[in-house]
Amino acid sequence: MNGWLWAAAVLVAALVPLAVVCVRLPAPEGLVALEAAGVDAVLALLLISQGTGRQPFGDLALVLAVVSFVGAIAYLRFVEAFREE
Amino acid sequence: MTVRDVVVTALVGAGVAIQVFACLGVVLMRDALDRLHYVGAAAVGVPCVCAGVIVAEGPSLIGLKAVLTAAFMLASGPVLGHATARAIHLHRRARG
Repeated sequence: MNGWLWAAAVLVAALVPLAVVCVRLPAPEGLVALEAAGVDAVLALLLISQGTGRQPFGDLALVLAVVSFVGAIAYLRFVEAFREE
Repeated sequence: MTVRDVVVTALVGAGVAIQVFACLGVVLMRDALDRLHYVGAAAVGVPCVCAGVIVAEGPSLIGLKAVLTAAFMLASGPVLGHATARAIHLHRRARG
């Protein structure tokens, strides 16, 4: 394991407490944790593709950056929609 | 260990450290808006790590992807933070 993969391992380990927050706390807190996890996972994928020497896999980081943004916006609509109950 | 290695280690180490502290902040704060504050702080870690990749590889395929990723995260981060704060505000006002 080289330095890139160790850095990626640290970032992946940081995802675990965020997942716990997502599962256990109410929707607004979980949404914020989801956004933080998205940023974290993008960097982890970039570091993994660099650390394993498979540079085309850097696409995964770029795609996840876009998809996690769109996904977070979609969940925001649900959090807002609670006001209509 | 060349100068380039030192710079890369410093940039990636700083980026990962910022990211880990931001995750800790998101997990440990009490209020949703307090937690959101640390998502904004996490955006500082992204350009650090991406700059580390670019310094290590120079102009290459992954360097270009790192630039694009950092640019997109820097552009989308404030938008997402603003939209999230607005959604939390509306959610609370509706719930009382």
